[in-house]
Amino acid sequence: MEVIWFVFFAVLLAGYFALEGFDLGVGLLLPVLGRTRETRDRMVAAVAPYVLANEVWLVAVAGTLFGVYPLLEGEVLFGLYPLVVAMLLSWILRDAGLWFRRRLDGTAWRGFWDAGIAFGSLGLSFGWGMALYAAATGFESPPVHPLGVLLGVVVTLLFALHGWTFLAWRTPGEFGGTRSGRALLGTGLVAAIPALGVLAGAMPYLLGHSAPPATLNVLSVMVLPFAPIMLGAQVWVWRTFRPGKDAFRFPSFF
Amino acid sequence: MDVLELARTQFAVTGSLHFLFVVLTLGLAPLVAIMHTRWAISGRPVQEGMTRFWGQIYVINYALGIVTGLVMEFQFGLAWSGLAHYAGDVFGAPLAVETLVAFFLESTFLGLWIFGWGRLPKWAHVACIWAVTLTAYASAFFIMVANSFLQNPAGSVVSGGRMALTDVGALLTNKALIFAFPHVLGAGLFTGGMVLVGASAYQLRRRTEELEFFTRSMRMGVYTATIGIFVTLGFGYAQFGGVPEGKFDGDGAAALPLALMMEAGHLLALVVLLGMLPLVGVLHRWRWTHPILMAMTPLPFIVSIMGWVAREVGRQPWMIWERLTVADAMSPGLTSGMVTASLIAFTAVLGLLAVVDYVLIARAVKRGPREPALGAAPADEPRSPALSY
Repeated sequence: MEVIWFVFFAVLLAGYFALEGFDLGVGLLLPVLGRTRETRDRMVAAVAPYVLANEVWLVAVAGTLFGVYPLLEGEVLFGLYPLVVAMLLSWILRDAGLWFRRRLDGTAWRGFWDAGIAFGSLGLSFGWGMALYAAATGFESPPVHPLGVLLGVVVTLLFALHGWTFLAWRTPGEFGGTRSGRALLGTGLVAAIPALGVLAGAMPYLLGHSAPPATLNVLSVMVLPFAPIMLGAQVWVWRTFRPGKDAFRFPSFF
Repeated sequence: MDVLELARTQFAVTGSLHFLFVVLTLGLAPLVAIMHTRWAISGRPVQEGMTRFWGQIYVINYALGIVTGLVMEFQFGLAWSGLAHYAGDVFGAPLAVETLVAFFLESTFLGLWIFGWGRLPKWAHVACIWAVTLTAYASAFFIMVANSFLQNPAGSVVSGGRMALTDVGALLTNKALIFAFPHVLGAGLFTGGMVLVGASAYQLRRRTEELEFFTRSMRMGVYTATIGIFVTLGFGYAQFGGVPEGKFDGDGAAALPLALMMEAGHLLALVVLLGMLPLVGVLHRWRWTHPILMAMTPLPFIVSIMGWVAREVGRQPWMIWERLTVADAMSPGLTSGMVTASLIAFTAVLGLLAVVDYVLIARAVKRGPREPALGAAPADEPRSPALSY
C-alpha cells in the first residue's frame, strides 16, 4: 500500500512539472516572444484552456503530502517557510494575472497583469529549483545556496524550453517553430527530471514515513476508484483543445 | 501580539477572505448549471444570456476562491505543523480526498466549461457545469468533515501520543458535521440568491432594456434565497444538539458573532418570507424596493463570516476539541518575524486582489448582459448561428 501511494505521489509531482511546466514556460516567454499585445493574447490563449487542469496537480500533491505523509508535511513546508511563502505569492500573482488581464481594456491594466504573469511564473519556476535542492539535502542547506540558485536557473530554462515546445505544438509556425506531440512529451519528461531525481532519492525515506495502514486503506477506498475519472477528465481536456489553426482564435477568457 | 496570535490572525484573515468567495461559488454554481440546462433545452437567447452573464460573475468570483484557497492549504504546513504531527493520520485523510478528488475534478471540469464554449457538444458542455457543481459540493463536504473533526474528534483514538483513525463512518457522520454541512450549503444558496436579486435590482432601477432578463433573474434569486434561508435556519438550529456544553458560555468573542448571526438570520428570513416572496410577481416593477434590495446584498456575506467566527473562536483554546490546543498545534520554531512578514504579505496581496475582484464583479453587473467575455466569439469571427446552440 505504501508503494502504491508513493507511485501516486510521484506521478502527481512529476505530472505537475510536465504539465504546469509549460504554463509557467509560456508565462516566462511572455515578455520575450510577446512584444505586442496581440501576440501576448495569442500566447495566453494557447495555454489558457490547460491551466486550470494543470495547476491543480500541485494542489493534489499538497493534499497527498498531508494525507499520506503527515509527519513530513509540516517538516517540508515549515523547513522552507520563506521560500514557500514567496512561491505562493508568485503563484497567486500568476493566477491573478491570467484571470484579470482581459477583464478591463486599458493598456496599463493589461501590461500590469501580463508582467504579473511573467514575474509570477519566474518566481515559481526559480523557487522550484531552490526547493528541490533543499529537499535533496534533507532541508539541511540554507534557503539560498549557490547550488540551489543554479538548480533554479536550470528549472527555469527547462520550463521555458517546454513552454516554447508547447507553443510550437499548439500554434504551429506562429512562434518560430513547429513541433510534434512527441516532442512536447519529450520536453515534458525533461522538465520533470529534476522532480523525478529528488523523488528517487527520497523514496526510501518516504516509504518509511507513510501514514499507518488504517489511514492508507481509507484513502485508497476513497481516492483510487476516482483515479480513472480524474485521468479521463484530463484526457478530455487534451482532446478538446487540440492544436490547429483555431487554437488561439477561439474565445479565450484569460 | 505574540506569535500564536499572529498565526491565528493570519489564518482568520485568509480563511475569512476565502469563504467570502467560496460562499458565492457554492450558491451560484447550481444556479448557473440550471440556467445552462434551461438554455440547452429551450435554445432561447435570454437563457443563453443568463448563462453567460451569471456564469461570468461566477468565474470572476471563482478566481479569488482559488488563490485564497491555495494559501489555506499550505498554511497548515507553514504555521500549524503540530496539527499534522499529532492528528495528520485522521485530519489529513479528508483534506487529501478534497484536494485529490473533489477539487482536482472541479478545476479540470471548470476549465473545460470556461474554454469549451463553441467547442464542446451541447450536452457535454452542460454536463461540465453540473460536474463543477457536484465536485464543489463534494469539496465543501470534505472540508466540513475535516473541520468537524476539529470541533468533535470522532472516529479516532489517541495512541502513543498521536491520533489514529479507527472508524471512518464515525468521521463522516460526526454530529458536528451532519447539520453544519447543509447549513453551509443553505448559506451558499441564500448568498447566491441575494446576489441575483441585488444585481437585478440595480439594473431594473436603472430602467434596463433587458427587462425580461432581469425580471427572470430576480425571480430566480427570490426563490433561491427563500430555499437557502430556510435550509440555513433549520439546520442552524439543528446544530445546537451537537455543540459541546459551554462552547459559547461567557466568551464574548464567540457568543457575540453567534448572537448577531442568529438575529440577522431571523430578520433576513422575515424579510424574505413576508416581503420578497409574496411580492415576487411585482418586485421588478416596484422601483422603490430596489435600493433596499441592493443594500441587502452584502448581508449574507457578513453573516456567513460571523458564523465561522463563532464556530472557530468558540473552539478556542482547542485546535482539536479537548485533545490539542492551538498553542501545541503551532509549528515549533515559528517566530513572530516569520508570521508577521507572511501575514503582511498575504493580507496585502489577497486583500488588494479581493477588492479588485469585487470591483470587476460590480463592473460586470453594471455593464449588463450585452456580450460578456465568457463564451464570446473572437473579434475576427462573428458568432455564427451554427456555433451558438
